[in-house]
Amino acid sequence: MKYIDSAIVKLTDVSKRYTVENLALHRVSLEVQKGEFIFLTGPSGSGKSTLLKLLFCAERPTEGTIRVDGMDISTLTPSQIPMLRRRVGVIFQDFKLLGRHTVFDNVALSLEVLGLKTSQVEKRVREIVANVGLIGKLEQKAIELSGGEQQRVAIARAVVNRPPIILADEPTGNLDRDRTNEVMELMEELNARGTTIIFATHDEKLFENTHRRVIRLENGRLVK
Amino acid sequence: MIAGIIYKRALSDIRQNLTNQAMTILVVALSMLLLLFFALFSFNLRHFVEELGSKLGIVVYLKKEVPQESIPALYKRISELKGIESVNYTSSEDAFRKLKKYLADEQQVLEGVDANFLPPSFEIQIDRAVFNIERIREVAAELSTWKEVSKVQYGQEWIDRLEVFSGLTQRALVGAGLLLLITTAFVVANTIKLTTYARQDELEILRLVGATNMFITGPFLLEAFFQGLAGSLLATGIVYATTQYLQSLLSQHPLFKEVELVFLPLSYTAAIIGGSIIVCITGTAISMRRFLKL
Ligand SMILES: Nc1ncnc2c1ncn2[C@@H]1O[C@H](COP(=O)(O)OP(=O)(O)O)[C@@H](O)[C@H]1O
Ligand SMILES: [Mg+2]
Repeated sequence: MKYIDSAIVKLTDVSKRYTVENLALHRVSLEVQKGEFIFLTGPSGSGKSTLLKLLFCAERPTEGTIRVDGMDISTLTPSQIPMLRRRVGVIFQDFKLLGRHTVFDNVALSLEVLGLKTSQVEKRVREIVANVGLIGKLEQKAIELSGGEQQRVAIARAVVNRPPIILADEPTGNLDRDRTNEVMELMEELNARGTTIIFATHDEKLFENTHRRVIRLENGRLVK
Repeated sequence: MIAGIIYKRALSDIRQNLTNQAMTILVVALSMLLLLFFALFSFNLRHFVEELGSKLGIVVYLKKEVPQESIPALYKRISELKGIESVNYTSSEDAFRKLKKYLADEQQVLEGVDANFLPPSFEIQIDRAVFNIERIREVAAELSTWKEVSKVQYGQEWIDRLEVFSGLTQRALVGAGLLLLITTAFVVANTIKLTTYARQDELEILRLVGATNMFITGPFLLEAFFQGLAGSLLATGIVYATTQYLQSLLSQHPLFKEVELVFLPLSYTAAIIGGSIIVCITGTAISMRRFLKL
């Protein structure tokens, strides 16, 4: 049956159990519309990271169905996973940068896996790195950067290939007020261009004055 | 496009892990060195046997009643056999004369003996270019069926014995070669596994940003190709230099002047280099596959 679904992310009764006694997510149902910018919040250990991990197939759900950008995650074969991940830009809580490689190499990775031409990779990497204010450190190794700078490299890598969905896991966790505001502006900008953003944070201040939808998790359950 | 990036990644990998690369190449080279020396020994033994056999030639003794007039026809028939280089006829009288000369001072033992008591014979040299022991046997077998022929001789026992030995070493070579190749595959697989463990984070990140398996494994397979090639070329070079050196030593020594040490033919070295490359790629593929399942 054909149907038009404006939800770009849709979870139906999703549970995730890591161990017998640990239920990280319990019957979570959630729809995110194309172009939406939502906040995912809740105390530490409430399951925010787990929920994001399910969306790019880093973890598989124990129960329930998940659709992302038209793909049914539960029936995705291993060879289809790279295709999903190219559509979803992830800013990891722990950055996941290549420490021994330069800022340029780290950001370029997202484009190289797509098979882009070197000249194009160069142009787009410079552009985005300038955008996050690190153009002066392009050739520096990631490990030599401060936590805040590494965070921004991680952001640059997640957005450089212009994915339709961005999953941000505490992307401002290591930043001061000014840097946090810069990141928020960057996210707003991407969202204004049509990118769907799911922004996980335990920092209530970030969405105090926003009109955005806020989803709250507690002990792996959605609360109103 | 992907191919270009894989090549680039492989190059930068090699540059960043030079010691690791050198170790793997060394391990490959050592295994191939063993294999090559063994092959060299076996090949030279075979070569020596064939040389010896071709020098010995075949002697065909004719029946005494064969009339003199049929000799030219016989000569022609033998010359027309495949792979014959030269044929020499020795008549009874010639044989007798030779014997007399050989006996020199003791000629009296031949007194009263008929000058025709020795049978006439043909001495046959097999063409070196097409020489092999099978051919000698064939020719000898064919000749002994001729009605004019009484006996065929060709250093049979010597050749047979040496050939059995050479056949044994040949079989041992195949066995040892297989074992060595398997060992190399294990060692290479293990080296690659250590490398992949050390770079687990990097490979995980590649997967998370949407790299396909080909993109991840491609550079490793390319590196394996280079390692297999470099290792076996290194070993071949060493074995070649050693052969040349030994040959120069042998040629100076009066006792071994005649012994010719030959390097392996192109087909042998090509097979060993190709085998080395295949083994390295297989080893890498196996250890990568294990990793990619994670
Ligand atoms: N890989 C894992 N194995 C076992 N338990 C895990 C794993 N990852 C997370 N958990 C558990 O799942 C729960 C939710 O964790 P997480 O999703 O990281 O929460 P949050 O991101 O909101 O802090 C926690 O109790 C955590 O200990
Ligand atoms: Mg978390």
